Amino acid sequence: MSIITIMSGAYCNSETVIQKCAAQTGFRRIDDPMIVAEAARISGISDRKIQGAFSAKTSIFNQFTHEKERSIAYLRLVLAGMLDADDLIIDGLTGLLIPDTISHVLRVCIIADMKYRLLAAQQQEKVSEKEAAALIRRQDENIAAWTGAVRGATDPWEPALYDIMIPTDKISDSEAVALITQHAASEVVRRTGRSRQAVSDFQLAARAGEALANAGHNVATSAKNATVRITINKHVMLLSRLEEELKEIVMKISGVAAVETGVGENFHQPDIYRKYDFQMPAKILLVDDEREFVQTLSERLIMRDMGSAVAYDGESALSMVDEEEPEVMILDLKMPGIDGIEVLRKVKQTRPDIEVIILTGHGSEADRQICMELGAFAYLHKPVDIDVLSKTLKAANEKVQKKGDGLKAEG
Amino acid sequence: MSRKKEILKTATLLFATNGFKETSMAEVAKASNVASATIFYHFNTKDDLFLSVLSNVKDSILEEFSHYFGEKKFASGLEMLDASVSFYLYLAGSKTEWFLLLHRYYPYKLAEENEICRRYLEDIYNCFVDIFEKALSEGQSDGSVRELSPRKTALVILSTVDGIVRFKNCNLYDAGALYNELIACIRQMAANQNQKQ
Repeated sequence: MSIITIMSGAYCNSETVIQKCAAQTGFRRIDDPMIVAEAARISGISDRKIQGAFSAKTSIFNQFTHEKERSIAYLRLVLAGMLDADDLIIDGLTGLLIPDTISHVLRVCIIADMKYRLLAAQQQEKVSEKEAAALIRRQDENIAAWTGAVRGATDPWEPALYDIMIPTDKISDSEAVALITQHAASEVVRRTGRSRQAVSDFQLAARAGEALANAGHNVATSAKNATVRITINKHVMLLSRLEEELKEIVMKISGVAAVETGVGENFHQPDIYRKYDFQMPAKILLVDDEREFVQTLSERLIMRDMGSAVAYDGESALSMVDEEEPEVMILDLKMPGIDGIEVLRKVKQTRPDIEVIILTGHGSEADRQICMELGAFAYLHKPVDIDVLSKTLKAANEKVQKKGDGLKAEG
Repeated sequence: MSRKKEILKTATLLFATNGFKETSMAEVAKASNVASATIFYHFNTKDDLFLSVLSNVKDSILEEFSHYFGEKKFASGLEMLDASVSFYLYLAGSKTEWFLLLHRYYPYKLAEENEICRRYLEDIYNCFVDIFEKALSEGQSDGSVRELSPRKTALVILSTVDGIVRFKNCNLYDAGALYNELIACIRQMAANQNQKQ
């Protein structure tokens, strides 16, 4: 046998339909006030405050007291406890708390179009159309807030939340009752081993939710095969500390085999590396005695997001190699004092990892050969196209990075 | 000091006092007396610079704590709690710029989308809370601290002590005058009254 949950809009003639369903099936009817009363009894929170969970309005103190979340946790706990029984009609908002994994529940939504509801409200309450509209709007707002809080759905009449939608403005009471009872008797909503497990998981998750809410935490809980999953739906800096605390609370509950914690979508994902480029820039050392040329080059490289340091002669170039630890070097051959070829030789001897790009105005083919033999990365002539140079720099940098990664992999 | 360290030091000060948005790379360059090219040479973007500053602050805080608590012995958990509070205040007094930086909103905003930043902040605050928590747990073992949740109480103590630091840094009150009261309050909050001191 099975369980029927019925969610209905105000003034949709649902009461008649539910009564007839109960009479025809002989199922026990449970409604929100019964669940609220029981939740109040076991929690010690007043009925009125628990009832407040269904209201769209939230107390300004709630972010400290978490009263609403505690109320919902107790509603869930009471409801979960009732699911051991079969042959129930659960009428009201609490039915939405039952997870979809419990497959022996037939989820029914009774709704009608606005015209029908307005007319029904006017007749029942003896009010004007305007007042009727306000009444319906207020109720719908509360229902929408509840659906949002417990299911994350903005539209409470969203068909995906239910197995069948009953449009009472289009079909008669008896047709509605027939539809519901037929579906409730169907094979699909029979209790199975798996759905029984889902009920006990739901009960476990509800107990975990209650323990966490009582410790002041506002987190979501679910369970699968006795493993409780806690989802933190907020940004928390001290995340591992919080996760530890949550686990400790839940592990104490009997029947819990394991606890997993995680962060909800749209919040810090500790296991996902956010797309952010933290790769260090290529450090480039420019060595050339033509001051104006190097300055201009340096500025143009900055515009391309490449930082560079500058040396005007071979000697300072060599000392900067030690000081600044560049990764790539752009080197002129003709300089006063120690010339470029000598700088290249020394750099390759002491710091072979530095990639050296020769950039010269007067170099001969013989120079080119010497440089390449000494281990230069590239040999370019002045004047150089900045695009060619930055492409060469990029290639040199990639080689450096790859080497670095290789070292890391080996280490 | 290497040039990179010099830049980091200056940037820490500027980010701490003026904030991230109000600090330009040119200002950092000027204040640390280097060419802008040099800054870009070491740090690709302003975000990189900021994260390096935060990383540096994190490393320094962790080092300070492990240095102080690594060798010190305490008569009881409660004594250690006293010392931890004093040490926090001492550190906040001598390294004002670290705490000014941590009291800015920007790092926490950045942490919402930047995992590295979040991890740095988590490390820093874990380091702070761990000490208080450890003192409380040890105090419970030796009987000097009463029955309480060390984890949560440590967070409450941190926010209290850090609140005093904020009082001082914003010149809300002469925070030095609150020191004795603070220590007394925390002692009263944690002490096991049944134990004869």
